[in-house]
Amino acid sequence: MANKLNKVPSGIPGFDEISHGGVPKGRTTLASGTSGSGKTVFSSQFLYKGITECGENGVFVTFEESPQDIIRNVKGFGWNIEKLVKENKWAFVDASPDYSSSVEVGQYDLGAFLARIAHAVKKIKAKRVVIDSVSALFTHYQDSGIIRRELHELTVNLKKSNVTCIMTAEKPVEDEQISRYGVEEFVSDNVILLHNRLNSYGERERTVEILKFRGLFHDSEEASLYVGAQGINIYPKPRPKLTGKGFSQKISFGIKGLDDLLYGGVYKNSTTLITGASGSGKTVATLHFIMEGAKRGEKSLLIEFEESPNQLYRNAASFGWDLKKYVDNGIVKLLCCYPEDLRAEQYLQMIQNLVIANKAKRVVFDSISDIQRIYNDRKFRTFVISLNAFLKSHDVTSVFTNTSPQILGVTEITETHLSTASDNIIILKYVELDGRMHRIINALKERGSMHKKELMEFEITTESGVEIIGPFKGVENLMSGFARRIYQMGLDRKEAGKDIIADIAAGKI
Amino acid sequence: MATKYVLKLYVTGQTTNSVKAIGNLKNILKDGLKDICKLEVIDVLKNPQLAEKDKIMATPALVKVLPPPIRKIIGDLSDKKKVLSGLNLTIG
Repeated sequence: MANKLNKVPSGIPGFDEISHGGVPKGRTTLASGTSGSGKTVFSSQFLYKGITECGENGVFVTFEESPQDIIRNVKGFGWNIEKLVKENKWAFVDASPDYSSSVEVGQYDLGAFLARIAHAVKKIKAKRVVIDSVSALFTHYQDSGIIRRELHELTVNLKKSNVTCIMTAEKPVEDEQISRYGVEEFVSDNVILLHNRLNSYGERERTVEILKFRGLFHDSEEASLYVGAQGINIYPKPRPKLTGKGFSQKISFGIKGLDDLLYGGVYKNSTTLITGASGSGKTVATLHFIMEGAKRGEKSLLIEFEESPNQLYRNAASFGWDLKKYVDNGIVKLLCCYPEDLRAEQYLQMIQNLVIANKAKRVVFDSISDIQRIYNDRKFRTFVISLNAFLKSHDVTSVFTNTSPQILGVTEITETHLSTASDNIIILKYVELDGRMHRIINALKERGSMHKKELMEFEITTESGVEIIGPFKGVENLMSGFARRIYQMGLDRKEAGKDIIADIAAGKI
Repeated sequence: MATKYVLKLYVTGQTTNSVKAIGNLKNILKDGLKDICKLEVIDVLKNPQLAEKDKIMATPALVKVLPPPIRKIIGDLSDKKKVLSGLNLTIG
């Protein structure tokens, strides 16, 4: 708590989390970054939200853009700075270039500049000051020693007036020195780095990193930064905790034969992975899970990356399920989008908000492999673990689907970080036997519970969706995809086949 | 004689540079320029809003407002030749 008293809220969602409370109060913090790393938006937001959310007036000292340009540029975020200027809550000190040439003859200082800032602070009783960017001073004046001395005096003055200041600085290249002119030397108490890098997928990735807050606690990892419709959002690295309750209560999956395999369904707040090739029945199985919950009045969230709402409604209707009705009355929340629409951290936050807002108790993610396709391994792992931890801690029972690349044969799921994160694994497979494709389902794993290990044949029918017929017997190599009947001595191939088919027909197996 | 030049000198109170600049400028102007120059000395500590209006950053700063183009010299004006050429001013 004592830590918080020394900081002011930044007004930038997520920043107060990574900084454990905000921007150091009554001190100057250097925000250094390359061109396009978000320095101006970051500092404008700090000032704007300071006024609108904390009642702290602010002075914006602009070196590169004119006040008019800044007013215009941030209007898109819904920030009306003109109004704040009129209300004497926001003041500009305009240090943008005026294009009149100046000559240096003899000794000088930045007395006028300092007087202007002091005047503006006094005039509107400012508690916050932004200087964007201080590097410009070094290009305007030849004697950088003077600039350093004057900036030092400025920070001392601001500190005396208990004004919180963000000074931006230009960084020439990513990951080299902190700022171009060594500005950090005199405001080095607090340094924030804004990064803007090209990732291996060819996308720009912005991150923010707190290099130091002298004497104050803060996170040390980089956090993702996005400039969205309402300004900057920072997404702190998730800190999943293994705190989910271990329920002994089971809930029905909605597929009769599968509940039997799992000895009564899946545990409440468990995570189930359904893995199978394209068209193997994964989406139908998840619809069972959602509809079962809906019938019981349990709210759910269905995240769908492959089908549109109307496609889903149609497909559900073909099994006699009125999914649209449940979506319309709010029992089921549907989120259909392309995985490329948002980044991992944004999805995570959106899903968390939706689960909380809708009080969802069942969540389906179809399919998780769509997300894996666009993130690197580390990011994907963090995403899955964080999502899992969140869902468990909110007593949500979840089902993730994974699309395996091969139609037939054994596929690896261990490599994807998915198997260890999942409590239950259900495999859907195609098997070629007797000249046709069969579908099989298997409960590979169910953490903490007895489960049947049989490979069961199932069909997808319009009457009941996934319908489990019975186990395959007298057949081997099912998992390879190319099954083979095991013949008993003395029986020919045809007879053996008949035997099994008769057994299945009689309901013996 | 009619005023030919309008000059403004911005200073910060009684700092060494400010005092020097005022002295140096008076010296420069005394030979033949005094009568045709209108000089206004502005203390930015007393009138910071004027510095804001004219976008003055460094002090001392000498600005030739008229005739156009506007010329600006910063520093204590210790070099007469440079000051005159910087302002594009001619004696006589």
